[in-house]
Amino acid sequence: MKKVLRLALLGAAVIAIAALASGCGSKKSSSGGTTTNSGGTKSANSVVGSGSFSNGSPAKGGTYTIGWENSFGFTNNFDPTGEYLGNAWGLYSNLMLRSLVGYKHQPGAAGNELVGDLATEAPTPTDNGLTYTYKIRSGVKFGPPVNRAVTSKDVAYAMNRLANPKDGGQYSFYYTVIKGWDAVANGKATTVSGISTPDNNTIVFHLTKAAGDFNLRMSMPATAPIPEEVGKCFEGKPGDYGRDVVSSGPYMLQGADKVTASCPMKPMSGYDGANGNHIILVRNPNYDQSTDQYRKNYIDSFKFVVNSNADDIFAKVQAGQYDDEVSTPTPKTIRQYATTPSLKPRMIPNVGDRTNYLSMNLTQPPFDDVHVRKALNFIVDKAALQKAWGGPIPGSIATHIVPPVLYNNGLAEYDPYATPNEAGDVGKAQAEMKQSKYDPGKTGKCTASACKGVLTIADTRSVDKTMIPILVEDAAKIGLKLTVRSINGAYTTIQTPSKNIPLAERPSWGKDYADPYTFFAELFDGGAIIKSGNTNYSLVGITPAKAKEVGATGSIDNVPTVDPDIAACSAKLASQRTTCWENLDKKLMEQVVPWVPYLWPNNVFIIGPNVTHWNYDQFTDGPAYSSVSKK
Amino acid sequence: MTFYIARRLLWTLVVVACVIGITFVVFYLLPAGDPALRFAGKNPNPTELALIRHRLGLDQPWYEQFGRFTWRFFTGDKYGWPGLGYTYASGSSVKAIVLARAPRTLLLIAGAAFLWLVTGVAIGVLSAVKRRSLADRAAMGFALFGISTPVFWLGLMSLYIFWSQLGWTAGTGYVSPLDSPTGFISHMILPWSVLALLYAAFYARMTRNNLLETLGEDYIRTARAKGLSERRVIFKHGLRASLTPIVTMFGLDMALLVGGAVITESVFNIQGLGYTAINSALQQDLPLVLGIVLVASVAVAIANLVVDILYAFIDPRVRYA
Repeated sequence: MKKVLRLALLGAAVIAIAALASGCGSKKSSSGGTTTNSGGTKSANSVVGSGSFSNGSPAKGGTYTIGWENSFGFTNNFDPTGEYLGNAWGLYSNLMLRSLVGYKHQPGAAGNELVGDLATEAPTPTDNGLTYTYKIRSGVKFGPPVNRAVTSKDVAYAMNRLANPKDGGQYSFYYTVIKGWDAVANGKATTVSGISTPDNNTIVFHLTKAAGDFNLRMSMPATAPIPEEVGKCFEGKPGDYGRDVVSSGPYMLQGADKVTASCPMKPMSGYDGANGNHIILVRNPNYDQSTDQYRKNYIDSFKFVVNSNADDIFAKVQAGQYDDEVSTPTPKTIRQYATTPSLKPRMIPNVGDRTNYLSMNLTQPPFDDVHVRKALNFIVDKAALQKAWGGPIPGSIATHIVPPVLYNNGLAEYDPYATPNEAGDVGKAQAEMKQSKYDPGKTGKCTASACKGVLTIADTRSVDKTMIPILVEDAAKIGLKLTVRSINGAYTTIQTPSKNIPLAERPSWGKDYADPYTFFAELFDGGAIIKSGNTNYSLVGITPAKAKEVGATGSIDNVPTVDPDIAACSAKLASQRTTCWENLDKKLMEQVVPWVPYLWPNNVFIIGPNVTHWNYDQFTDGPAYSSVSKK
Repeated sequence: MTFYIARRLLWTLVVVACVIGITFVVFYLLPAGDPALRFAGKNPNPTELALIRHRLGLDQPWYEQFGRFTWRFFTGDKYGWPGLGYTYASGSSVKAIVLARAPRTLLLIAGAAFLWLVTGVAIGVLSAVKRRSLADRAAMGFALFGISTPVFWLGLMSLYIFWSQLGWTAGTGYVSPLDSPTGFISHMILPWSVLALLYAAFYARMTRNNLLETLGEDYIRTARAKGLSERRVIFKHGLRASLTPIVTMFGLDMALLVGGAVITESVFNIQGLGYTAINSALQQDLPLVLGIVLVASVAVAIANLVVDILYAFIDPRVRYA
């Protein structure tokens, strides 16, 4: 009766909502706790490093619920062979899959250090860097329905699956250095000849050329073992394995113990597909904690639920109905947490290993002149752009290509286009412009017709709308008159070289694994330029032949290239490798100048009042689910 | 009447075919990009892209894809009849997704429609009968508020007050009535109310205007002169004649909401057909978009048919041959 009365009252009260709506302020509060961080990247503009939260000793048990904004957005239906969504990697790496090598699931540079996971250690290459031999750790078993020890053949099977385009591998280009890889990719072989398994505990990779980051490449989820008895049910069906992923880690899809490992396999109930609304992970009964030093596994089960309302996600996190989120806090939420002492410890910003930048097309006037590109770097008010993103919490000002954390905090102070308070410098910019062929009168402003109506492609997010006036005004100070076209989903346009886009406002790039190669090879390799889906937006290193192939026109001759630098750096190891990448970063910033980098975004996470321990996983750029705990 | 219904059903098929055809063409003519790129990773080579296009059937001309879709629809596919195919994103059956999401939307619409019809018509009648009274002005004030308030704002505010602050309702999400009837009502009461508020306002204004017009007719004066009670005059003679346009609007509103309650579904995290349609359109998941468009257009067409049939029962002047 009381409930009926309440509902009746509710119906009447809806009418009066407007009158009641004023004076919003939450009554809910959170308990305390301590937030720590592992060191920022640049003291002047950065307020954060990568963080963790602790509120007492972690306890075992509980269901950890995560609100996932709008839809899962998987690129391959959660099938690890092709899945390229970073949030999916967070689940694989922390909870479900054990690749040969892995990470400590920690924040900061330590979280990017490689450790043995399924393998006993990350091996040192032999044969002049051409051979990698991994020893499989004993005691690692597949979860149900396979229930047997993981062997080297399961890793080889996963690699062969990755090599075969029919199985949907989306980043197999990282493994073309393995001997025989291309033969499988081209359909001339079914297994990669450069992978051998002399026994169940050993797997050997033979490379065609040295790749100093090969161990890092073997940390990617697609390389994790797949049992052939299950995998064969999904050959030639990219994505379908996503609903039957067999666990080699501490957690498995709910319902894995209710299906049998025979074709055709029924989907496990724990995941209802990329169009669905839940992923539920429970403990893998075959997991042996003694084989795993870095995953703590306090939680009994994880529940990832899709929620179409971002505001509701954060309201539920604050109310304790969710513990965590896969979403982007709005400026309102950030402000609320930043200014409420009881909430503040539960907002944890973390360095995201990502760079936001403006890309200038080296083939299109006036950006075919390096002085114009440098002038734009000097004139852009990066502090204003940072403010457009919400200030220092959402990100620190970027001063070069690769975030310093990927150089183990190298180049943290490097800023070749430094201006007072990072607000732009008209004097320096105009001095640079005077050297340009587009300023024949040496006025400090671009006076040529090429600078009138410079096509600029932007996206339609709210932040883009804030950024565009800043860019237009800044560019005008050096005579560049931008014509901005805002497109919902601008990437499609700027990834098509034949559209000859001079300037793009949208680009952002994050690492795949903790090596600068994942920036340089994909963003500046002239040989990798393709007709659609191209990521070298500036067309660095494009040749006339390549331009003809992809339909690009403009100033094609004499476009600078860094292809030899990329090849040289990628063969190096350890500190030599890092230094090599740092030098390439400098060369790009000072000689090639394809970008105006302006922000190294942070990943800001809000956690619920029941969470007692949380830390960031630098590799996955998300929560270290294997370390979280709750009351 | 039977012949009329058969003829209308035939036209319904034509309308649905046209809608599907237009949706198909729009997807191909708008510069939305290549759906294959979504499944190709960061730096796909042409071979990989070609394989994905082939797998998704995107390497065929649009008219062939349309032909195949139509053929499967009538003959069925591996998921049975009607064949709606599988989604690009997950390879799941479109039909299964539509069937899973449709009850959420239908229950949302049904509950809200009940509320808006009852409150909207009641307020409209009250307002017309008590014209220029305080009740009339209050009712029209309510209508103005309902019409002018954005649904998303109303939704967020109602959540803030009744879930976050007062804790009277269960907040967002959906619980099946088969799993928990009370949980279902507790989750749906706010979306029902918010959605109903907007429509009730329209219905109140419409009922008031129609009834006022009808009450000025000669036959109403005649009815009163015959000595009928005012209640009988209003409800039997006045309201019945005023209902025709309301029934028309009601049928269309119900049908349009099958794919159109996007904001309510999103704010309250109901994840029905509208939300799924928007998401799949953003992800260029053409088969799922087509599946939902198909369901929504069938709903509109059938609702039109039902409304036309209802005319015959409400208005004695209408007879179908």
